[in-house]
Amino acid sequence: MEELIALLSEICPSIDFENETDLVDRERIDSFELVAIVSTLMDHYEIELDVEDLLPENFNSAEAIYRLIESRRG
Amino acid sequence: MSFTSFPFLLLVLGTLVLYYTVPGKAQWFVLLAASYVFYLWASPILGLYPIAITLITYLAALRLSALNARKGSMDKARLKRHKRAMCALTLLSCFGLLFALKYLDGVLVTVGALTGQKFTPLSLVVPMGISYYIFQSCGYVIDAYRGKYPVERNFGKYALFVAFFPQMVQGPISRYRDLGPQLSAARRPDAVFLRDGIQLVLWGLFKKLVIADRAAAVVGTVIDDYSAYSGGIILFAVIFYCIQLYGDFSGGIDIARGVAELFGIEMPENFRRPLFATSIADFWRRWHITLGGWMRDYVFYPLSFSRPFSALGRFARKHLHGAAGKILPTSAVTFIVYFFIGIWHGSDPKYIFFGLWNGVLITAALLLEPVFARIAKAVHLDRECALFRAFRMVRTALIVLIGRYITRAETFLGALDMLSRTVNTFALEPFADGTLLKLGLTAQDYIVLGVSLLCLLIVEGIQERGVKIRRSLGGKNGFVQWLAMFALTAVVLIYGFWIKGEIATGFIYMQY
Repeated sequence: MEELIALLSEICPSIDFENETDLVDRERIDSFELVAIVSTLMDHYEIELDVEDLLPENFNSAEAIYRLIESRRG
Repeated sequence: MSFTSFPFLLLVLGTLVLYYTVPGKAQWFVLLAASYVFYLWASPILGLYPIAITLITYLAALRLSALNARKGSMDKARLKRHKRAMCALTLLSCFGLLFALKYLDGVLVTVGALTGQKFTPLSLVVPMGISYYIFQSCGYVIDAYRGKYPVERNFGKYALFVAFFPQMVQGPISRYRDLGPQLSAARRPDAVFLRDGIQLVLWGLFKKLVIADRAAAVVGTVIDDYSAYSGGIILFAVIFYCIQLYGDFSGGIDIARGVAELFGIEMPENFRRPLFATSIADFWRRWHITLGGWMRDYVFYPLSFSRPFSALGRFARKHLHGAAGKILPTSAVTFIVYFFIGIWHGSDPKYIFFGLWNGVLITAALLLEPVFARIAKAVHLDRECALFRAFRMVRTALIVLIGRYITRAETFLGALDMLSRTVNTFALEPFADGTLLKLGLTAQDYIVLGVSLLCLLIVEGIQERGVKIRRSLGGKNGFVQWLAMFALTAVVLIYGFWIKGEIATGFIYMQY
């Protein structure tokens, strides 16, 4: 989880990934940042993500993103 | 049937009475009937287009839903192939029709000019609002492809989603998940919804009739004969065009959303105070929000994660250093999205340039962001402070203003000529020698427009601080609420209808 937060913070330095729980719903990250996050996750964790995974519930918090990564690594 | 016409008022009132009189189960049918009365009023033949689009997308979504149900019992790759073919066929049919109606003549003229051949234009009539209901129904088909929610099985209820009369001709572009269940729900009259709806309709009428129509008079006079005016007046007219466009489109959307609220139905926001945008990307998050959202979900994301762009991204991250490596694929997709946003407005090549203008600016901003951040840090500049925010707002407004030269001029070269004249023949004298009173507005019109714009600015400034004005007004006592509504009604009646002379225009965005 710490590694993921460090990775996310590198992409969006102004966002508090440890505490934010409405990243998509409250538009804390925009579409460019979301694409950058997904691309980085796919490269770093060697997982496949699809446009159908781009649901707010998968990206609203670092924890949700972590769960998504785990489910794809599964 | 224009939103500002007497027949539309009668249609809304008649539909409201019927809607709240019939049993709850039949209410959606009243809305469907009213929607087709609204649409067929212009031309019964053109009513065939929404019916055809409704039928095609309804059947496609049912088929996609059936295919989704076979997940697990059918080979995964084969299922995906079937679904893709179904989805592609539907989108090609719908957008093919849109292309034939809106763009084919323009493309033929351009090809003819390039090849020296002469094509006879088809001159097909473009049904009002066709882009809106095609985008909305195609979004529904893509959602069905993705299996995002259960599809609508009742053809009549789906037809209402496509044709719901307040939104059919200029949006907002809704999603079925948000709008569909609201349209078929049984409702009783709700005092809060009715009051809020009336207030929003009045506010929309104010923006359209009092502000946009007045601004339009100057725009028409100057831009249609811009070579007769000096640079200052051309700039003045393009600023008025920005005012006209915002008042017209956002006013129309307010009327649409307000009418829907009278039936207890909430439609999505389409504008969020674009004047307060601090960057061009921020502007597009505040202007025509539902089109931007559509482009994001159905063009930007799918392209960004498609195989070619994913490969491009991997290549760029490996071989290019710094920001360029990170943003190359996103920028490429951004250009494609803004190309589509550009041609949404029409087939003239100027709209391609308008799309490119926005794509270039957004890409440049992404590329230069790290540089700006470093400079700000070096000079100890707080980029969130009010003064810098105001600077960014003015800068964004100027960029948007230049884009408006492109969309309002007859051609792209005309826009460049207008821009050149703005700079090279700029003079302040025409603002003092009475020229302003020869542009289609009287001194009283300028005062009405100025005061109205000030009111709009104050209201939007308050909203920008997070205050929900209608909610806040709802908390006041009855007298204050009635006074506010009476005052707004009086202003709309006096300055929107009565003291207006020959000033009157249709809604700009209905043509899309």
